Amino acid sequence: MFKKTITFIAAAALMVTSLAGCGSKASSAANSDEPVTIKYLSYSAQPDHIKDLEKMIAAFEKENPKIKVKYETCLYDDYFTKLQTLAASKTLPDVFEINYENFVNYASKGSLLDLSDVISKDKSFDPSVYDKTSYDAYKYQGKQYGLVEKFSTCLLFYNKDLFDKAGVAYPNDNWTWKDELAAAQKLTDAKKGIWGTYSPIQFYEFYKTIAQNGGSMFSNDMKTVTINSKQNVETLQWMIDKINKYHVTPSDAEMSGQKNEDMFKAGKIAMLRTGTWMFSYFKDAKFKWDVALEPGNTQKAHHFFSEGVAISKDTKQAEAAWKWTKYFTSNKDSVQTRVETGWDLPAVSDSSVYDSFLKQTPPDNRKAVLDALKTLVVPPVVENEAELADTVNKELDAARLGKKTPQKALDDAKTEIEKLIQ
Amino acid sequence: MNKSKKKITADILSYFILISGSLMMIVPFLWMISTSLKTADATFVLPPKFIPDHITLNNYKNVINSFPILRFLFNSIFVSVTITLGQLLICSMAAYVFARIDFKGRNALFLIYLGTLMIPSQATLTPQYILMNHFGWVNTYKALILPGMFSAFGTFLMRQYFLTIPKSLEEAAFIDGASHLKVFFRIIMPLSKPGLATLTITSFMESWNSFLWPLIITSDDKHITLPLALTRMQGRWHTDYNSLMAGTLITVIPILIVYLLAQKQFIKGITMTGIKG
Amino acid sequence: MVGDKGIKKILIICLFLLPSLIGLIVFKGIPIIWSLILSFTKWDLIGSPRWIGLGNYKNIILDKDFWGALAHTLYFILGYLPLVIIFALLTALLLNRKIKGITAFRAIYFVPVISSWVAVSMIWRWLYNSQYGLINYLLSLIGITGPAWLQDPHYAMPAIIMTSVWKDTGFLMIMFLAGLQNISEDYYEAAEIDGASGIKKFFSITLPLLGPTTFFVLIISIINSFQVFDQIWVMTQTEPTAAYTQVLVTQIYNYGFKYYKMGYASALSWVLFLLIFVFTLIQNKLQKRWVNYE
Repeated sequence: MFKKTITFIAAAALMVTSLAGCGSKASSAANSDEPVTIKYLSYSAQPDHIKDLEKMIAAFEKENPKIKVKYETCLYDDYFTKLQTLAASKTLPDVFEINYENFVNYASKGSLLDLSDVISKDKSFDPSVYDKTSYDAYKYQGKQYGLVEKFSTCLLFYNKDLFDKAGVAYPNDNWTWKDELAAAQKLTDAKKGIWGTYSPIQFYEFYKTIAQNGGSMFSNDMKTVTINSKQNVETLQWMIDKINKYHVTPSDAEMSGQKNEDMFKAGKIAMLRTGTWMFSYFKDAKFKWDVALEPGNTQKAHHFFSEGVAISKDTKQAEAAWKWTKYFTSNKDSVQTRVETGWDLPAVSDSSVYDSFLKQTPPDNRKAVLDALKTLVVPPVVENEAELADTVNKELDAARLGKKTPQKALDDAKTEIEKLIQ
Repeated sequence: MNKSKKKITADILSYFILISGSLMMIVPFLWMISTSLKTADATFVLPPKFIPDHITLNNYKNVINSFPILRFLFNSIFVSVTITLGQLLICSMAAYVFARIDFKGRNALFLIYLGTLMIPSQATLTPQYILMNHFGWVNTYKALILPGMFSAFGTFLMRQYFLTIPKSLEEAAFIDGASHLKVFFRIIMPLSKPGLATLTITSFMESWNSFLWPLIITSDDKHITLPLALTRMQGRWHTDYNSLMAGTLITVIPILIVYLLAQKQFIKGITMTGIKG
Repeated sequence: MVGDKGIKKILIICLFLLPSLIGLIVFKGIPIIWSLILSFTKWDLIGSPRWIGLGNYKNIILDKDFWGALAHTLYFILGYLPLVIIFALLTALLLNRKIKGITAFRAIYFVPVISSWVAVSMIWRWLYNSQYGLINYLLSLIGITGPAWLQDPHYAMPAIIMTSVWKDTGFLMIMFLAGLQNISEDYYEAAEIDGASGIKKFFSITLPLLGPTTFFVLIISIINSFQVFDQIWVMTQTEPTAAYTQVLVTQIYNYGFKYYKMGYASALSWVLFLLIFVFTLIQNKLQKRWVNYE
């Protein structure tokens, strides 16, 4: 009885699945006169820039009537889940946004289209329209696999009103960590719940901060792990001391779930190291604020975060995809829209593009954004970026909680990282 | 005399426990409502204020204007209702076999059913997606609905429920020559209102709140469900908590309605002596 | 057992069972078998899977993070399971009475269940705030200084357990409520005539006749609590105590969706499956003694 049932079930299952298989789409034989549709996936457009993206697409489609761009967006947090599922089922969108850290991963695994072909066919393409360093960043093994879309960086944001009240001079481009600490001590007012300064203790903040003290996570050739160097231990100690020793930075318990950006906006933090993407969020803050270059210790260092646009290797519309990729990242109107709406900054070589950006306020000192590029540090890129970040964060957390000394935490981090990059 | 005194004490005690418990249950929810009526700067005040100084409906307006909320509401309702109805029928029928009709290998098969619940969905997400892609069902209602209809959970639930129904009633019917079909539809199902109500609630709720699967299987606004759309209120760098709460409350209302309607079925079933002949 | 026999019986089984079975095989069975196969491979999702036999399983046994996650998961289960089942049963018994306003109470007890974890975690973060939170405030009234719940490695998991019990009680309560409906009043009346007290009635009538329901609640709770994910993710992933609340499914999620190690994630899932299966069998054996199917 059971055997019969099983046989029946197996046969039925087979039938159903093969029937269902008939429903799959037959590949569309493209008529060369029909408009082609390309799919574009983005995360940075959510939630504030969907209209801007639509505007760019509309303008592009007007210029290229034979191409239709179908866009899809999702949140940054979900983006890579989605992208991987698409990669796993070999249904990556024709064009998609990808950040610098993950770019190397996808390029090395062969899921991106080598752009050399379309570039050589496109006589009108001039790579010098992009800023050279950023453009080259999207090369892998010498070949171009993506185009840089935008970049952003972090600066020291400060609440001018709080500075005025405490009678402290504003930060300037020559500040060092010592200056920051001195100011923070004057600005902190425990009774009012006001903190002098804040910077998170996590992977991204860490690799930049150690650079401000002359350290790094890896050697230049990425073969040796140097995360536990003397300078780095010193840096981590300083970051933790701001919380536990000098009490100018709130501890996690004292923040208890509030985001540092919200606390800054509520006037509870006087100095905050955060990204230029926060300009629009802080725009309607109820106090005057500005930005300055981040104080360093032995040298200055600033983040270079970048998003690029890549084309899937399996795309059936390479030419159309290329046109959109090029347009989106360097067309004059695209670039202008991006700058005006605060959708980070394009990495183009024409500095007049930034004029309208520099004129906007707040903050007044926008030129700091461009100055920061002179001392930039890129994320250390290994094949498994997420795992590297989580590993380092685990050790940083342990140090932060006082479970390990900074030395031990970084020593352990070194061991773990070495296992990872084997 | 003694009995009613006992009952009154029991009742008073019950009220006391129920009310204190209710406070614990509902306070967080009240905070949700209050946040949805506040402006952002009034939200992170510590200690928190339950009654906002200025009540604003902007957050609700924001949610309604931010996306085609009716479309998403429709999607969610369509998907959840279909899944629930499907489960009610399919799971009950399967449960009846597991509870009442013996055959060789029945227990082993049931164990396999249970086994499917023991693999975390995160592990089957990608294979399931590839399968849907193979069928050509990506970004379709089919893909949103069908996988959810065949849950072992529902079968398990109904089987246990059927096992609590005394066999005496069916036995009488069988002796009179009734078939399984008749017994199922005429006797078992009508007696299973509480069980079916429970299945309705859990099935509706699970499909309504489902997030990860709709995320990867849909790619345009036409098919997005409401809870998924709501996550858009959580930006990468800052969250519009007030609108998020407003949106969440809007999402929560249909589930509450389904629950209130369904739990009406939680009334005492048959009494053994009630049915004769 | 009377009823249809022979061919008729087979037809009925097919009619009633096949839709569910086929659907299960196609939509759950195939992906599940697939993930089993994947567990023997190395797959970064972008390229093709590469067969490595038991490699993943060997690595799991050697991975101290796995054992940590296992310990945390067991910690969660041992704290959560007894509490939520007891509260759910007690609440169901209370809500089964005929008192005024019972519908309103039933709704209120269910409200945490329908709230999203995002909303719940925000509220509970405030409740757990070490300086301004309600919980530490109440504790201070009786002279106890409460800890920094979510930021303290010793208290983060207990905090999550408490919130989970609060949220899930209503869910299990409705299961018990449904089961209570089929216990005939006659039993109670007969017992009262014999002079049985409330407690005796509970243990000799209610509990045994709730057997199938309790079995269901226990198994489902075990299965679900082994797979706990949502609350861990929203409550502590952004806190420094994240490492102290890693559970098996957060690991699976990380490896499968963040680290591009789908093979390893699949193997982890199957280890989890084995654990759940074994625990369920044990629980099944234990309960065979006192389940009463009338």
